[in-house]
Amino acid sequence: MRALNTAATGMMAQELNVEVIANNIANMTTTGYKRQRAEFEDMLYEHVRRIGTQTSTQGNILPVGVDIGSGVKTVGTPRIVTQGTLTQTGGKLDLAIQGDGYFKIQLPDGTFAYTRDGSFQMDAQGRIVTAQGNVVQPGITIPANSSALTINSQGQVSVITQGSTNPTTLGQLTITTFLNEPGLLPIGDNLFTETPASGPPTDGLAATAGVGSIQQGNLENSNVEPVTEISNLIQAQRAYEMNSKVITAADQMLQTTSGLYR
Amino acid sequence: MENALLVGLSRQMVLERQMDVVANNVANMNTTGFKADNAMFEEYLMPVARENRFQPADRVLDMVNDRGTWRNMGAGPIQQTGNPLDVALNGDGYLVVQTPAGERYTRNGSLVINGQGQLVTADGQPVLGDNGPIVFQPTDHSVMITPDGRVTVTEAGATNTESQRGQLRIVRFAAPQQLQKEGNNLYVAPAGVAATPDPNTKLIQGSIEKSNVSGVVEISRLIQISRSYAQVAQLLSNQSDLHKNAISQLANVPT
Repeated sequence: MRALNTAATGMMAQELNVEVIANNIANMTTTGYKRQRAEFEDMLYEHVRRIGTQTSTQGNILPVGVDIGSGVKTVGTPRIVTQGTLTQTGGKLDLAIQGDGYFKIQLPDGTFAYTRDGSFQMDAQGRIVTAQGNVVQPGITIPANSSALTINSQGQVSVITQGSTNPTTLGQLTITTFLNEPGLLPIGDNLFTETPASGPPTDGLAATAGVGSIQQGNLENSNVEPVTEISNLIQAQRAYEMNSKVITAADQMLQTTSGLYR
Repeated sequence: MENALLVGLSRQMVLERQMDVVANNVANMNTTGFKADNAMFEEYLMPVARENRFQPADRVLDMVNDRGTWRNMGAGPIQQTGNPLDVALNGDGYLVVQTPAGERYTRNGSLVINGQGQLVTADGQPVLGDNGPIVFQPTDHSVMITPDGRVTVTEAGATNTESQRGQLRIVRFAAPQQLQKEGNNLYVAPAGVAATPDPNTKLIQGSIEKSNVSGVVEISRLIQISRSYAQVAQLLSNQSDLHKNAISQLANVPT
């Protein structure tokens, strides 16, 4: 009985759907998190009676055939990269990107990763780093005894050094854009790396064409909408339940058959 | 004498097949753009194993046979996703997908951009516009898809002007039931079935069309199938009892 296997694929798909929804809800308050959606496709069909085969020598053809599907499969979990809302934190090194683009981060192994989580810190050497201590590119060092750290919408970092009254510009943060943002590979810690699907990174500057602007003192919330997630969760759970009913019914039919033999 | 068994068997065979169809519908309850299938049956007159020379002639034997799977082409509910590359088709049209095996048709408008900047399905097959696949430049942003399928972007350096990257082909079929499901949310048109441009189907950006499988219908169908199956099984077992009694009573050979 194929129905048993078909319903099993349905249950597995809904299980994965719930896992994706669970991850979205778990990251509801993760800075810069982009929600994911499970995307499904139907599997192969067995064409028991093929459409268009001749039914007589007069050339009559079958208008409809018997096509029996074999279930569902997951094709991907695309990330939905819409802008999250901004929360004002007042932190000097809390940065949010309004628009497209990612902060460029250097990992300990020298490669680069990208993030929209702009809750940065300063390390012992005065460099701007992520919460994990990875340096934000292009590696701006803030001198000791400086005050009034300002990062403008274009990402220019300026401070007032001791003994001076005019601000000094220390550098400008790199903002990287990608052609296909959902194609980035998530590596955890709110970081992403480039893949052949994302296209090559384009390093740019904030508030220029095609690149978002930087808001100091703000953080980007995750774009998870609780109402959507909960209604998706209900749908997934009901679909799971119905698939299990199909298995029960198919099992009963088999039981009836085996009951024939006495 | 064996006829009841054979008729019952033919019924059980099609019930199992109908069950497979229902199982596939339920499994695809959350598949974007999925259309539910229904099994159709016809009566099959047994042409052989019949003797008409006696008076009265043997009654014609009726079996059941599955004739086809009929697709419910009704629109599925439209769900807003907010993703600019999701399109739902409002109408009975299809998007055209380029696969290695030729053109295929889909109602799954959950599209993505690949590393080469092409607009593709979740499987990575390019979606065709009037002049082949739709290709974006690395600096393009703010993708807009109009109801008639035109894909426009704002180019780097420009702020308000839109540049067109192509127009998605939307096609329809005079007899959509003749399309064959191929899996992966794709339909294939058999030879002789031509796609014609469809100006009436409108695209809705930022939404997807959910599966049109109705849970209530499928579950009630499920109950009906399993009950019918049990009834036929009961019939078969009664028939078998008759045989057993006949054998034990008629052939009561004294020992």
